[in-house]
Amino acid sequence: MPNLVEFLQSVVNGIGVGLIYGLVGIGFCVIYNASGIVNFAQGVFVMLGGMVCQALLTQFGIPLMLAVALTIPLVAISGMIMELVIVRPMMHRGATLFAIILATLAAQIMIERITLLTFGDRPRTYHEFTTGGPLKIGDIAIGYQLFWILGCGALLVLLLWLFFTRTRTGRALRACSQNREAAQLLGVPVARMMLISFALSAALGAVAGILVTPTQYTAYNVGTPFGVNGFIAAIIGGFGRAGGALAGGLLLGVLQALAIVALGAGFKNVAALSALLVVLLLFPNGLFAGFSRGAKAH
Amino acid sequence: MTSHATISIEPAGIRWQAMLPVVAVVVVAGFGLLSSDYVVTVLGFAFIYTIFCTGLNFFMGYTGQASFGQSAFAAIGGYGSAILCADYGWEPLLALFATMALSGVAAVIVGFPTLRLRGHYLAMATFALGLIVYEVTIEWTGLTQGYMGYSGIPPLGIAGYELVTVKQQLVALVVLALFGVAVAARLRQSRFGRALASIAGSESAALALGVDIARYKLVAFVIAALYASAAGSLFAHFIGFISPEVFGVTMVVQSFAMLYLGGIGTMWGPTIGAIIVSVLPEALRGLKEMQDIGYTAILIFILIFAPRGLAGLSALFGRVRGRVKEAA
Repeated sequence: MPNLVEFLQSVVNGIGVGLIYGLVGIGFCVIYNASGIVNFAQGVFVMLGGMVCQALLTQFGIPLMLAVALTIPLVAISGMIMELVIVRPMMHRGATLFAIILATLAAQIMIERITLLTFGDRPRTYHEFTTGGPLKIGDIAIGYQLFWILGCGALLVLLLWLFFTRTRTGRALRACSQNREAAQLLGVPVARMMLISFALSAALGAVAGILVTPTQYTAYNVGTPFGVNGFIAAIIGGFGRAGGALAGGLLLGVLQALAIVALGAGFKNVAALSALLVVLLLFPNGLFAGFSRGAKAH
Repeated sequence: MTSHATISIEPAGIRWQAMLPVVAVVVVAGFGLLSSDYVVTVLGFAFIYTIFCTGLNFFMGYTGQASFGQSAFAAIGGYGSAILCADYGWEPLLALFATMALSGVAAVIVGFPTLRLRGHYLAMATFALGLIVYEVTIEWTGLTQGYMGYSGIPPLGIAGYELVTVKQQLVALVVLALFGVAVAARLRQSRFGRALASIAGSESAALALGVDIARYKLVAFVIAALYASAAGSLFAHFIGFISPEVFGVTMVVQSFAMLYLGGIGTMWGPTIGAIIVSVLPEALRGLKEMQDIGYTAILIFILIFAPRGLAGLSALFGRVRGRVKEAA
């Protein structure tokens, strides 16, 4: 029987991971809103973020902040390449939805294999941003990295909100999400918006990967769980809403942490995937659809 | 909006043309029988995947839906056969049918709520199903022996007579694969097959014509699951060993590569794709580590430039010369 300390500890851990899922979930929403497609390779950006940052840190001995500053644009470029080489030609040729989904899934496996051949299959990690800790509150231990995750996560959400509401590009992206044809007629360069959305989404994934790696490890194959959980977070939040994805991520992270306590670590993904099915089948517009007017017709 | 899936362009009465692919398959298999056991094994995989993809084609090609979790049913078939035959000494054939029945029931239970979903939601829900079963095969070590895998599965056989050599098994697999394709061909030409094609064309039009969409989708899904389950069982008997990786995401992507390369929605596309995708890596042995990269690169290339695959190309050249190019 899990006691109170264990319960609170797992909630704390869950919030940290959940925020990461939330960021990945927002990444899904950004691309979906701009282009109407779901990028199944989203988790790969998280993996790349961790791997590239780790390589820069250990193999080139670059200081942390510089490594982060280099990693994010590098991963963003990988997202742009994916858009230019795979998604754009397919959309031009009027490929079906499932074909595009499949192509992104194939891209994910391809990038994973390339990473495997380049970096090897050894799991990697690097030190927390602030060494020391964990902070002890009673019997509950809170690693310093969690504060970095929370702080950076909050900062990112704020920046995203400012971007989408205050800048021209952000508003154009929102116009695309409401009606692509109309946006195009009004002079919004829709193709460029899609490129930007992939870059932005990849950058979000990279940040998530950089933040989360010190608390666990990264390897060529960590992308799928992050991608799937990020997608679940987006679904829980009602697909396409960034705030919902964040809340969904936190909910999912805590749920998973509790599932680990109750069922054992092995079944955390089963619990998350089951939650996905339940939400998909019972609340297709997301758990929070009831709070906002005009829920999307399914 | 018409497509090859919605209108039958099969001219009746040209029997010998319809038999041509059968001859080709037999020739390929015959070539295998004269070669080493290694080649036989590769071809065996090809025909197992033929069965898997022919089933998947029902759901994705004819009906125009998507299942990214078909590997789940292959896992049920594979592990079911392994456990029933290795631990309980069942007849392989009996275990094959028993696990197919189990997969069918599972497909009904799972499909009933899931198939209401469309688009991304359907893709992700089925993908989740595949991943759940994959995780369970890893974690439920008491049943599946986890990463260790399940060994000691007897080869295919009937009433005490076992197909001991791989060549005998290949013959059995070819017969079963051709049987599977023949069943698919019959069903496709039937009232049932035309109903599926109408759903692929337009769901609202199909509904207006009185097609019970939900029921037909479910039946197509169950048929796909039965084929997948049989393929999983055959895999277990053919290799004698299974592990969770066999039924992982790679299986999904590989089968999609076959389906799209051969030509989705065509009768012989899955067979063509399965043989080419299975044999190609063996022809390019130097690429051992790059194999998956090769697969995915080919798949992406096909998806972009030839979404109808090779069977689509042949139809384009052979039959519909002069047809106005369809607007995309």
